[in-house]
Amino acid sequence: MEKFKVTFYPDNKTIEVEKGKTILSAAISAGVYINSSCGGEGVCGRCKVILKKGTVLSQPTGRLSLEERRHNIYLACLATIQSDLEVEIPEESRLIFEKLSPEELGLRLKGLYAEVEEVESSMSILENVFIHSPLATKLYLELPPPDLNDKISDLERLYREIRKRHQIPIMQTGLANIRRLGEVLRSSNWKVTVTLGKRNGTVEVVLIEPGNTSKRNYGFAFDIGTTTIYGQLIDLNTKRILSTKVTYNKQAVFGPDVITRIIYAQEEDGLEKLHHAVVDVMNEMIQECIREHSIDLNDVSCVLCAGNTTMIHLLLKIDPSYIRREPYVPTANFVPTIRAAEAGIKINPRGLLSCIPGVSSYVGGDTVAGVLSCGIEREKDLSLLIDIGTNGEVVLGNRDFLISCAASAGPAFEGSGVSCGMRASSGAIQKVKVNPLNYEVKFSTIGDTKPKGICGSGYIDIIAEMLKAKIIDKAGKIILKDHFRIRDSDYGKEFVIAFGNSTLSGQDIIINESDIENIKRAKAAIFAGVSILIRHMGFDFEDIKKIFIAGGFGNYLDIENAKLIGLLPDLENTRYIFVGNSSLAGARQVLLSYEAMKKAGELASKITYFELSVEPSYMEEYMAALFFPHTDSLRFPNIKI
Amino acid sequence: MIKEYLENWTGLVNTVKIGATPQEGGTRRKTITVGGEKTLAFLFKEGHLPNKPVIAYEIWDIKPIDWPEELTNYYSDVWSDPLDWAEKVANVYKADLLCVRLMGIHPEINRDIDYELNFIKNLLKRVNLPLIIVGCGDDEKDNTVLPLCSQITKNERCLIGEVTQDNYKILTAAVLADGHNIIAQSPIDINIAKQLNILISDMGLSFDRIVINPTVGALGYGLEYTYSIMERLRLAALNQDKVISSPFICFVGQESWRAKEAKARQDEFYSWGKESRRGPLWEMITAVSLVLAGADILVMRHPKAIEKIKEYIELMFKNNF
Repeated sequence: MEKFKVTFYPDNKTIEVEKGKTILSAAISAGVYINSSCGGEGVCGRCKVILKKGTVLSQPTGRLSLEERRHNIYLACLATIQSDLEVEIPEESRLIFEKLSPEELGLRLKGLYAEVEEVESSMSILENVFIHSPLATKLYLELPPPDLNDKISDLERLYREIRKRHQIPIMQTGLANIRRLGEVLRSSNWKVTVTLGKRNGTVEVVLIEPGNTSKRNYGFAFDIGTTTIYGQLIDLNTKRILSTKVTYNKQAVFGPDVITRIIYAQEEDGLEKLHHAVVDVMNEMIQECIREHSIDLNDVSCVLCAGNTTMIHLLLKIDPSYIRREPYVPTANFVPTIRAAEAGIKINPRGLLSCIPGVSSYVGGDTVAGVLSCGIEREKDLSLLIDIGTNGEVVLGNRDFLISCAASAGPAFEGSGVSCGMRASSGAIQKVKVNPLNYEVKFSTIGDTKPKGICGSGYIDIIAEMLKAKIIDKAGKIILKDHFRIRDSDYGKEFVIAFGNSTLSGQDIIINESDIENIKRAKAAIFAGVSILIRHMGFDFEDIKKIFIAGGFGNYLDIENAKLIGLLPDLENTRYIFVGNSSLAGARQVLLSYEAMKKAGELASKITYFELSVEPSYMEEYMAALFFPHTDSLRFPNIKI
Repeated sequence: MIKEYLENWTGLVNTVKIGATPQEGGTRRKTITVGGEKTLAFLFKEGHLPNKPVIAYEIWDIKPIDWPEELTNYYSDVWSDPLDWAEKVANVYKADLLCVRLMGIHPEINRDIDYELNFIKNLLKRVNLPLIIVGCGDDEKDNTVLPLCSQITKNERCLIGEVTQDNYKILTAAVLADGHNIIAQSPIDINIAKQLNILISDMGLSFDRIVINPTVGALGYGLEYTYSIMERLRLAALNQDKVISSPFICFVGQESWRAKEAKARQDEFYSWGKESRRGPLWEMITAVSLVLAGADILVMRHPKAIEKIKEYIELMFKNNF
């Protein structure tokens, strides 16, 4: 087989691949990241690359404009390699780490314009519910040197000193530390800092360092989503959040949802590639954060992850295939705390990695973390937590019971799988108004920059506004005619939100009928899951006193519009509480408190999992919800379109 | 003695009126009213059934292409002129209601539009029965021709169709302007039936001007599926779901005469018996089942099947049990 060299810029990485392979697969092999939310199906149009040199063959695609084709732009997933190539990956196709400044984060979590109670400020109150006792603590010790009257061994001496401070009956220490112990104690003049890690009910002396480093103890909390990964650097002594970063999950190139990734994991090297994809993202995030704050990698002593069950399996390189097979049993819901290095996470080589336990194959530790951070299990009244993400987890309950389900919604609300979709980050259209008389569009973007794309809350607003202005009918078809914003496209009619002369990339930002269909399906899946769960327990919507809305996009949300499109039940706005990324908040709590960790374990055992896929009425509920707001208008009595 | 259990329904089916008399601004001899049920078919003890199901004779604007010999025997003498056909069912078979299918506008036949409009104009003159007008099933052609038909029959209060979820705007607008009723077709799907009714009413056409075609199958061809969908829709109506409280129109003839069991000749399947008896029976049994499911308008073909189903309906209403 003929082989060619492909060089990627700006990474400047070269790889030799067989003729006929796609540019995307070459990039994956070279370890170069190119966006691809559809998994290389030629559908999403995100993997645009510029061909600098060489020839490729490409299938025709509606995702490239004539102008782009003229400038040698190709979709990496459709272009097959026919010669040596030089390929440039433009910025919009690259993996970008979005840094969320504390101000921005605070602003977002306030919900900007959402008329909902704001929870992140009360989150700090919640955090105080749990005693401060991080996964790893540092202790500075000045040991009395041994003499003829005090002849206990070095290790016992260390334990004795620790026990003077803390009630720790059982402790363990790895052989590697014991081997170093005698030398370290003596060379440091008996002044050392020990890092104590909580491992599965016992305490381990994770690390012994000379001198006093106890002021420098850091940890990372991660929310590993199917589509989006959040990472947070936390000072474990002060509980302060030093940095929050967010990016897409690199695994998306292997498929948009957990099922396709599980299938991919079965392929040769599939599991390996998926594992590396997520670990790479986490390591890069860690590197960025510590560089920013001039922190030594050795002072990062632990990592705490919340993720759905599949994501945790892939992170730990555990074969996820049984999750997908009847009777849908994962290899492990409760994963013991391990050494981060074992999973390939680069922090202190002896640092710890812990994952929040999951409930079942499709309700994972991210949901448990969410429940923990919302405090549903402490509520007397019936509460509901809806995570508007790819897997659409829903938890219903109070202090007496907790039941959950996963309504596979797809990544549309995270800005993936829709033509101009993007994550809720700088440049994303997040709030939209359409004038019903002349169809003038007004919008605001995150960071008040020129628009780059549309995020989940933007889509909710756009569809609600288009319904109100009668640009689309309740089935989601564009009915407005003869207007300069309406055009025909390969994906049905489209409505132009922003014309190229005002956008960041110079390209029009549009929504088409296929996007509307995607959003409609996503909202129908979530609403159907919520309805079934409530009905299954013999309740009515009216019985729910608090509804916590979480989700990667959920940093901004117009509740009124979310009800109007039929995503959320038609209940008073005062019942809605907006929690943003509750999973990350939960992970942070667990990282900072061993008590929260134990609570998470209890919750994971307590939450009952309700399998929607074997519930015969789910399909019916879903079909009935494929309408704006719903086929059964009695369920949305206050919505008037 | 077991106590009789009676359901107490709170909702009712919308009443739809077809045809307009000279007093009402039209030229029809009479009007036909369907719907208004306050209970399921023939359950007189549970609620009032103000209107009997009605039968519409199906006629075409051209000589039918695939009608079997059994039907040819009754109509071939009038197939050279659709107006004669209309007159025959009105005068000889004493039809109450006429359903005209404009098959001639189908792109494969492509009759001149003016010719079709003239046909409708003349039909209004020759026959003074209430009219149902349906298109050929090709969206583009139907959207061109049916609005024109709506215009020239303005104020006659016809029932015109059909609209679907993907194509409802143009015809609904025409029907709304010209004072007609509309047929909303859904593919044996409760949700789509409901959604389409909402979409139509969103355009301003009131619910009492919508008749649902739930799409039916003939005996042996999915009839039971059709039955349960119609029953569920009707139960929703009787439970006060206003959006879905429309009467049903069922194209019984079209479906029944597609069945091999209805049209096959005896010399092909000797044991099946004479097609002159089997064919109408097939159509009639399909019709009876659909009446039981709640059908309000049955569009049928064979005069004998129509005679029998009418007898059946009369009998059921007379006994009033």
